[in-house]
Amino acid sequence: MADALVIKKLNKRFGGLRAVQDVSFTVRENETLALIGPNGAGKTTAFNLIMGFHRPDEGSVTAFGTEIVGMRPYQVCAQGLARTFQVAKPFGGMTVLDNVMTGAFLHYRNPEEARDKAREVIEFVGLSARESTAARDITTIDQRRLEMARALATQPKILLLDEVMAGLNPSEVDQAVALIDKLSGSGLTIVIVEHLMRAIMAVSKHIVVLDHGQKIAEGNPKDVMANPEVIRAYLGSYAHSPNGGVA
Amino acid sequence: MRWVIGLIAAVAVLIALPLVVESAFAIDICIRILLFSFIGVAWNLMGGYAKQLSLGHAAYFGLGAYTSTILQINYDISPWIGMVAGGCVAMLASLPIGWLCFRLRGPYFTIATIATAQALMLIFLKFRDFAWGAEGTTIPNLGNAPLMMQFEEKAGYYYVVLGLLALALAINYKIEKSWMGYYLVAIGEDEDAAEAVGINAPRIKRDIYLISSFLTALAGTFYVQYIYFIDPATAFSFNVSIEAALVSIVGGIGTLWGPVIGTVLLETTSALLQSWLGSGIGGIQLTIYSLILMAVILWRPTGIMGYFYELAARRRARLVKA
Repeated sequence: MADALVIKKLNKRFGGLRAVQDVSFTVRENETLALIGPNGAGKTTAFNLIMGFHRPDEGSVTAFGTEIVGMRPYQVCAQGLARTFQVAKPFGGMTVLDNVMTGAFLHYRNPEEARDKAREVIEFVGLSARESTAARDITTIDQRRLEMARALATQPKILLLDEVMAGLNPSEVDQAVALIDKLSGSGLTIVIVEHLMRAIMAVSKHIVVLDHGQKIAEGNPKDVMANPEVIRAYLGSYAHSPNGGVA
Repeated sequence: MRWVIGLIAAVAVLIALPLVVESAFAIDICIRILLFSFIGVAWNLMGGYAKQLSLGHAAYFGLGAYTSTILQINYDISPWIGMVAGGCVAMLASLPIGWLCFRLRGPYFTIATIATAQALMLIFLKFRDFAWGAEGTTIPNLGNAPLMMQFEEKAGYYYVVLGLLALALAINYKIEKSWMGYYLVAIGEDEDAAEAVGINAPRIKRDIYLISSFLTALAGTFYVQYIYFIDPATAFSFNVSIEAALVSIVGGIGTLWGPVIGTVLLETTSALLQSWLGSGIGGIQLTIYSLILMAVILWRPTGIMGYFYELAARRRARLVKA
């Protein structure tokens, strides 16, 4: 499999805080990579650096061989990368269909064509019943679906999902996992930031763990979960102290 | 089909109006309504759809007014040509102004736009050799000279501004139905999310600012031709900027007919209050006018068109349930 997204030595400081330090990883085509780590580990910052919302201080990001550092978000999107936001950002006053059409216009400037394409994606994520509802009036899971639909309408090759499952109940999480499987099955490369271990285990075979802005582990789920560094990051240093510890 | 018939009927009534109405006062009010509807539509493209709340559109109104007047008085060029020239000058001016102001968002953007209009007014006040300074100038009255945009009857002006409004509404309609309309609304809702779906927000904002300032400049030329007088305080009047925003907000921002409905409501109210109460206690008509404004903004923040859309949506929802 070819490399879809190659991240090399990414660095970003906010004042005195080193939000992302020397992070490198590679996402291969059609794989689902999970980016995990405790709160404040730098996952969302890494997303913002990749998508052009922040400019990295150092480092390089290439998507299918094209350097995308220095591009603005809309240019990155035109390169075939699309994202969802951790806090859903629907265009509240627009209907669900109009929201998704704004994504579809990237490749189809004709409103009729864009509408057809948008409807396809809306059906794919299972939102057809809400098509003409204003985006601000739909439920949390539907807003997440809408975020995905709008991103998918830009016909990305790589999809970055930022905590799409936060705040969902267990059955909704199952639905979201099924949806991500379906996306992966359609050939999409996915990078997912997630807290929910159960969901990560279900969708991803390749995990990158960040802590305090640094990559502390990478590999398949089983190895990563057994990694002492990861356990320390999540549970504190007591959990794995040599003489047994308290925890 | 029904709305096409309605539209044709409305156009027929509007065209026949000056032939039927004889009162010059009534026609004057109609001209003001059409003019401010036109400015409102021009403003609404950027301020309403893309929610870039400019309070500096007087800058383009004034540039349009001065360009055509300077061309007419100094070079004997017809204001019809001057009007288009003024529009082009306004477009050129909108590029650096937009480049500066669009770096700011929200209230900061609004304040910056106010500053640009005020700065232009000061420039025209100070540089007297260039354009008559503070005392301004009257525009020579040529009698009935349609080719110089001067008419003996007010009806002539009425048709000119009616044509301008029709042009602006047509442009607005075209934009609203195209990808550009969706992009504008998306930018107005959330600029980050808009960029994330591939919208080149800086370019879209620049383009709509060009269109909006071009149209506003046409209104400036028309207005000074109508009142035969120009000075910096009239041409760059803060009132123009306020009115442009106000009629759109009251009527419903980001809707095709919002600015028109808002102007009809505000201008007629203001004219009627003036004639009923103007001679009574000083300032009473302005007080009532402001109370109406506050009522609309408190109870109908989406404007009058917004209220109709809500009603329609509620009726649709009821139909779906039934």
